[in-house]
Amino acid sequence: MSDDQTLAEFWRIRNAAAVTLALTEEQMRRVVQTASVEQLVALFETFSPARSAGPEWTRTFDPLVEHLWAWGDSETIAAVAELFRARGLPWASVANALSPNQGDRLRAATPHPSWARQPAFGLI
Amino acid sequence: MGLIQGAATVDRLREEIQGVRYRDATSTFCRLMTEQDRPLKDMIKAAIASAAPYVQVPSHLMQLPNGELRGVNYDHTILGWRGAISLMGELGGSRGILPNIQAMWYVPQGLNVWEQVICEFPGHYARDGEQCGKKFPGPDESVNRFDGPAWSVPRIYFQDHDPIEGGSVDERLARMNWAISEGDKAEAYGLFLGLARDPVNRRRLKDAILFAGITDLQDTIINRGGYQNIGHKALRARALVDIADYLGWDNAHELFYTVVPDLGCSPRLYGLWSEICTICKMELPGYASIPKRSDKPLTERELDVLTEAIVWGGPFDVNAAIMGFFKRGAGILDVGDAVIACFQRYLIDVLEHPNAFLHPTHALDYMNVVQSWVRDYDNPHQVKAVFMGARFMNDTIRSNANFPRDPTFNLEPRAKYRSWADDIPIDRLLPVLKDHVLAQDAPRSCALVDSYLERTSERHDLLDTITYAACHWQNDPHVMRNGASSLEEFRHNRTSRRDDIIRGYVKHQSRYVKRAPTHDCFHVYVDYFKPANA
Repeated sequence: MSDDQTLAEFWRIRNAAAVTLALTEEQMRRVVQTASVEQLVALFETFSPARSAGPEWTRTFDPLVEHLWAWGDSETIAAVAELFRARGLPWASVANALSPNQGDRLRAATPHPSWARQPAFGLI
Repeated sequence: MGLIQGAATVDRLREEIQGVRYRDATSTFCRLMTEQDRPLKDMIKAAIASAAPYVQVPSHLMQLPNGELRGVNYDHTILGWRGAISLMGELGGSRGILPNIQAMWYVPQGLNVWEQVICEFPGHYARDGEQCGKKFPGPDESVNRFDGPAWSVPRIYFQDHDPIEGGSVDERLARMNWAISEGDKAEAYGLFLGLARDPVNRRRLKDAILFAGITDLQDTIINRGGYQNIGHKALRARALVDIADYLGWDNAHELFYTVVPDLGCSPRLYGLWSEICTICKMELPGYASIPKRSDKPLTERELDVLTEAIVWGGPFDVNAAIMGFFKRGAGILDVGDAVIACFQRYLIDVLEHPNAFLHPTHALDYMNVVQSWVRDYDNPHQVKAVFMGARFMNDTIRSNANFPRDPTFNLEPRAKYRSWADDIPIDRLLPVLKDHVLAQDAPRSCALVDSYLERTSERHDLLDTITYAACHWQNDPHVMRNGASSLEEFRHNRTSRRDDIIRGYVKHQSRYVKRAPTHDCFHVYVDYFKPANA
C-alpha cells in the first residue's frame, strides 16, 4: 500500500470492479438461459485448441461451465453433451464437463451466499 | 526370480540389449555386479556402448507420404543413465543402485526409435505410444511382439567417425558449433572427438557443447506437433558432460558417439534464441557483465510478479519481468533460482491431469541444465539462457492451458488431508509418504509433505523417501531425470521459496502418468541387491 492511498480507497476500487462484473453476470444469465443447443455448441467449439484465440480464452472454459450449470436448462445441456460425446476423444473434456454428474457436483460446490446477487463463480 | 542359465558376460549383455530382451539384459547386468563383482561404472559403460550405434535417427521429423510431418522421439537411454548416476549419490547405499537398474531396464526398449514409430522394431515407443501391437499383431494375439525380442538387427543411421584434428582450439570450437547449427553431424562429431582427446580442452568443450544444446530450443510447442525438441538438445548435452565426468573422458568414446551426432540432427530451432539475443541487445547492452550473484536477489513481491508472469502470463510478460530484474541489478543465478521456485506453483496448484506433467517438467529439466551451466562455467551468453528457460516453462503452461480442462481428472485439494497428516507423528511420517507416493495418491502425498516441511527442518530423508518411491516405476527415464533436476536445484536454490521445489516434486512423482502399472524392475533389483527396508 502506498503512502497516499488508504485501505478504504483500495476497497472502493475493488467494489467498483465487482459492480461492473455483477452487471455483466446478469447479462450473461439472460443469454445463457435463452441460448439454443446450436448456439451453445458453437460457443464450445471455440475452445478447440485449433480454433481457440489462445490460452487466455481457453482458461475461461471452467467459468463458462460453472455459469451453464448454474443457469442453464438440464435438457439443453444434455443435448449439447451428447453431440460432443459423439465426436470422440478430442472433445471428451467438453462432454465430461457437461455430464450430469459434473453438473450435480458443480451445482453443489458453487456457493451462493444469501447476501450476494449471484453465485460465487470462479473468475479465471 | 527364475533360474538364469549360463554365465553372465558382457557379450551376453550386449546381445540381450541389441535383441530387445530387456528383462534378460537387466538380470545379466545385475549378475555381472553381484556374482562377478564387476564395477557398476564398467557395466554402465558396457550398456552405453551396446546401445550407442542404435540410438541415432536420420531426423527428428519424418515426412509422411501425404507430405505432412510427424515428430520422431529423442533417445532417452542416455538420459536415464544421467539421472541414475546423479541419484546414486542421493540415495544411500545399495538403494543408489535402483535408479541404475531402472536405466538398464529401459535401454533395450529405447533403440531404433525411427523404426519403432513406424512399427518395424520393438520397444517402448512401438509398444506404448504407437500401440503397434494393435495395428500389426503377431500370430499369437495374446503376446505383444512389440515388447520384444527383436526380430531383426537394429539399424545404424550414423557410423562412428574418426577424430578431426588440426587448427587452433578456438577455430575448432567455432567450427564445431557452426557444424552443429548447420546440421553437419559428421563434422561436429569429428571435431568433438579431436578436441576431447586433450584434457586441456575439455572444460571449454563442455561449455561449448552445453551452449549448443541450450540455444537449440523451439519458440513454442503450441499446435506444433513434432516441430519442437522440448529441450532435448540441452538435456543430451548435460548428460554427456555428467556421464563423461563419471566414466572418465578417456573412457567415454561410446558416450560421445551416443550424444554428439544428435546435437546436429534436424530440426534445429533457433527462433527463440534469436528473439532473446535481439531483446538483450536492445535492453541489456551490458548483459555479458551481469554477475552470477548479486546483493539484490528478488524480493517477495518480485517473486509474486514472476510467478504471475510464468504461470498466468504470456511470453512478453515473462520477458518484461525478467528484463526488469536484470535492469535493477539482480544476478543471473538470483533470477534463475527464482524462475525454478516460481514455476513450482504450477505443479503445486494447477496441474491435475497425469498426462499434462510431461512438457512442463521437460522445461524444468531444461532450466536445470541452464542453472548448472551458469553455476559451473563462465560464458557471456548465460543471462540469455535464463530467459530461454523461463519462456520454455511459460510456453508449456500455455500449451496445456490451450486445452479445456477435463473435470474427470479433478484432484481433491491437499488441504483436505492436512489435519490427517498433522496427526501422524513426525518419526512415522516418511513411511506413510512412501506408501502414498506408491499409491499415486497426490492429495495425501502433498499434504504429508506440507506437514513435514512445517514441522521439521530435516530435508534429506524427505527427498530420499520421495525419490526412492519414484524410482519404483519402470520404463520411464523421465523419473530419474526429473529427480536429479529437482534435488540439484533444491540444494542450490537461495530463494525463500526453495521448499516449493519439494512440494512440486512430490506432486509430480505422485501424479504423473505411469508407463507400467507393475514394479517388475524394482523386484529384480530387490532380488539381486536385497536392500534393507525395501
